Amino acid sequence: MLKGVKLASVMAAAALVLSACGGSDESATASAAPSGAASGVKVGLAYDVGGKGDGSFNDAAYAGLQRAESELGVEIKEVEAGADETDASREERLRLLATEGYNPVIAVGFMYSAAVGTVAAEFPDTTFAIVDSVVEGANVGSLIFAAEQGSYLTGVIAATASKSGKIGFIGGMEIPLIKAFEAGYIQGAKSVNPDIVVESKYMGPAGDNTAWNVPDKAKAATAAMIDKGVDIAYAAAGGSGLGMFQAIQAAGGPEKGLWAIGVDSDQYTVPSLADVKDVILTSMLKRVDVAVFEVIKGVVNGAPLVGVQNFDLSRDGVGYATSNPAVNDFKAAADAAAETIKSGAVKVAAE
Amino acid sequence: MARITLPQAKFVRILFFLLIGVTTLSLARTFADSGDLSSTGTFGAAIGLAVPIGLAGLGGIWSERSGVANIGLEGMMILGTFGAGWAGWQWGPWVAIAAAVTYGALGALIFAIVTVSFGVDQIIAGTAINILGLGLTQFLAKLAFENAPGGGQTQSPPVSALPSFTITEISEPLSALQKEGIFFISDAAGLLSGLFYQVSIITLIAIALFILTAFILWKTSFGLRVRSAGENPWAAESLGVSVYKYKYIAVTISGALAGLAGAYLAIVGTNVYREGQTAGRGYIGLATMIFGNWRPGGTAAGATIFGYINALQLRDESNIGGLTLLGAIILIGIAVLMVARGMRGTGAALGLLGAALMSAFLFTTKMPTEVALVAPYVTTLLVLATASQSLRPPAADGVIYRRGESH
Repeated sequence: MLKGVKLASVMAAAALVLSACGGSDESATASAAPSGAASGVKVGLAYDVGGKGDGSFNDAAYAGLQRAESELGVEIKEVEAGADETDASREERLRLLATEGYNPVIAVGFMYSAAVGTVAAEFPDTTFAIVDSVVEGANVGSLIFAAEQGSYLTGVIAATASKSGKIGFIGGMEIPLIKAFEAGYIQGAKSVNPDIVVESKYMGPAGDNTAWNVPDKAKAATAAMIDKGVDIAYAAAGGSGLGMFQAIQAAGGPEKGLWAIGVDSDQYTVPSLADVKDVILTSMLKRVDVAVFEVIKGVVNGAPLVGVQNFDLSRDGVGYATSNPAVNDFKAAADAAAETIKSGAVKVAAE
Repeated sequence: MARITLPQAKFVRILFFLLIGVTTLSLARTFADSGDLSSTGTFGAAIGLAVPIGLAGLGGIWSERSGVANIGLEGMMILGTFGAGWAGWQWGPWVAIAAAVTYGALGALIFAIVTVSFGVDQIIAGTAINILGLGLTQFLAKLAFENAPGGGQTQSPPVSALPSFTITEISEPLSALQKEGIFFISDAAGLLSGLFYQVSIITLIAIALFILTAFILWKTSFGLRVRSAGENPWAAESLGVSVYKYKYIAVTISGALAGLAGAYLAIVGTNVYREGQTAGRGYIGLATMIFGNWRPGGTAAGATIFGYINALQLRDESNIGGLTLLGAIILIGIAVLMVARGMRGTGAALGLLGAALMSAFLFTTKMPTEVALVAPYVTTLLVLATASQSLRPPAADGVIYRRGESH
C-alpha cells in the first residue's frame, strides 16, 4: 500500500525536476529596415520572461528598438525567453545572435547577467548591452536605472492622492532590484505624509520566476490591501501587475477613490491594458526605450556605450507618466520633488 | 483503553469536522489576534486559489482511478490556459471554456494513446506531456497573439469577463457579523459570506463536477468499471470489461478537467493567457489528490486547505503567525487522538511538532517573509507526511496493462 504513495512522491519529484528542463525557444522575427538611411547595423534584442506584450518593460525595450529602426535605419531581430530555462539556453540565444553578425546584442533583464558575461567574452568585437544588471567586460554596457528616483515621484503622487493615509506596494520577485522601487516609493510617500502606512507584498522569493506571471495572486493580495483601507497601490511586478489593476477596478476604482500606479512603461496607453486603463493614475517610467535607443545610437555612431550607464532623473532615464489627465492634480507636487532630486537636495536611497 | 470513535454517518462526520475546524480557527484567531484568519476576503481568495488546484486534482482522480498515473496534468493545464486565451479574446468566455476543455482533453488523448495503447511508462509519458504542453503553447502563442491587438508572444489579448455572483442579501449581513469578532459565530459567518461573495460561475461548475465525479465513479456501473480498471484490470478483463476503453475515457476526462482548471486561471484568476501562469499548480493538484486519498471529498478538502494557506500568505504575512498557532492546535489535537488510540510513537512525534510550532508562535514577533512564502508548501508536505500513513492508492495505479496477458 505504501508503495503507491512512495511511487507518487517520486513521480512528483521527478516531474518537478524534469519540468525545469523544458521550454526554451529560439524562433525569431526579423524585419528589414522600413525607412531612413540604412546604416548597415543589425540589432539583436533578447527579451526577458514576460516578453513583448507584457505592457511593461519588455514593451519599453521594443519601443526603443522601433525608434532606432525608423530613425537610424537599423535592421532588427527579436528573440524571446522561456519561463524555466537555464543559463545555457540563454547563452545559446545570445551566441546565435552574435554569430549571425548582430551588433549590438541587447539582453533585456537581469536574468541574462551570467549569459552576457560569458558570451561577451567570446565575441570581443561585438557590443553587448544588458538592461537592469551590471556585468563586467570591456564590450558590455550595463544599463541601470535609478528606479528608486522614479518610484520616489510615484510615492509623492500616491501619498498626495491617498485619502486614507494607507498605500500599497506589490512587488514581483523579492530581490534588491525590486526592493529599490519599494524603498523609493516609501521615501517619497513619507516626504509628503510622514505618518503614511505602506503595505508591501511580494509575489515570490528570489529565484522564483513564477513571481512575474501570477496576476491572480497579485489580485488576491491587492484585494486584501483594499480590505485594510489602502486606496492607492503601486506594482513593480511584471505581468503580475495586471492583477493589481483588476483588483482595484473590481473594488470600484476611481469612483471609490481607488487608484493604481503602473510601472516601467506608460501603462495607461498599453493596448493589452485597455480594459483597466481607467484605474491607472500614472506609471513610474523606466525609460528602457531611451537606454536601448542610446545603445544602438552609440554603435551606429561608432562610439558604443560601455561600462555602467546609470539612467537617472537628470538623464531622463526615469520619470512618471502624464497621459491620464487625472494626474494633473498631482503634477506640481511630483515635479517639485523631481527638482529636489535633480538638484541633489534630496538623496533617494535604493534600500 | 478508552477508544475515541468518530461519528460514522458521512454527513454527520463532515459536519463534525467542520465544527471542529471553525472552533479551532476561532481559537487561533482570538489568541493570535489576527482577524484576517476568518475574514470574508480571505475565504473568497482561498476559494479562488483552490479552484484551479482542485480541478487539476479531480482530473488526477479520474485518470488514476482508471490506473493511469497522470503527471501530465500540468501540461494539460497549460494547454487549457492557451485554449482559453486563444478562443476567449476572439469569441468570448464561454467559447474559451469549451476550447480550454478541448485542448486539455486533446493533450490527454495523446497521453492515453501513448500510455494505454503503446504501454509507455506513464511517468515518462507524463513528463513528456508537460514539456510538450509548454513548448507547444509557446510556439502557438507566438503565431496566435503576436500580431493581435494587445497581445504579445507570451500573452493573449484580454478575454471578456464571465458572470460572477454576489448574493448581497446573504453576503453583506454575514460580512458585518464577521467583523464583530464574536467567538465561533463570526468565523462561521466569514466562511459563509466568503462562499457567497463574487463567486465565479466556474467555481459553481467545479463544485458540481466534484459531486458528479463522486456520484459517477462510486454509484454507477460505469464508474465501477473505471475503478476496476485501476484496481485490477486483469479481473475486469476476465469479466468482459473493455479496460482500454475505460482508461481512454477516464484519461480524456482527466485532461478536460485540467483544461478547465487552466481556463479558470486565464478567465477568472485574471483575464489573459500568460506563459507560465499555471506556476506549477498542476503538480500541487496532484499532491492534493494524494492527500485526498484519490477521492473527491478529500481532494476538495486538500485544495481548500492549500488555497486557504496561500490566501493567508498573500493577504498578510502576519496571518502566518495565526496560522502556526492553528497548525499547532491541530497537530496537538491529532496527537492526543492518536495516543488515545494507542499509536504512541506517531502521536508523540506529532505532539512534539505541535509543541515546536506553538513555541514558534509564542517566541517570534514577526515571521520572516521567507518562512511565510514557503508556509503553504511546508504545510502541504507535513499534511502529506502525516496523512500518507493511511492512504491507499488504486492497486494498479501506474501499472502498465496489456490486453490478454491475464495473470
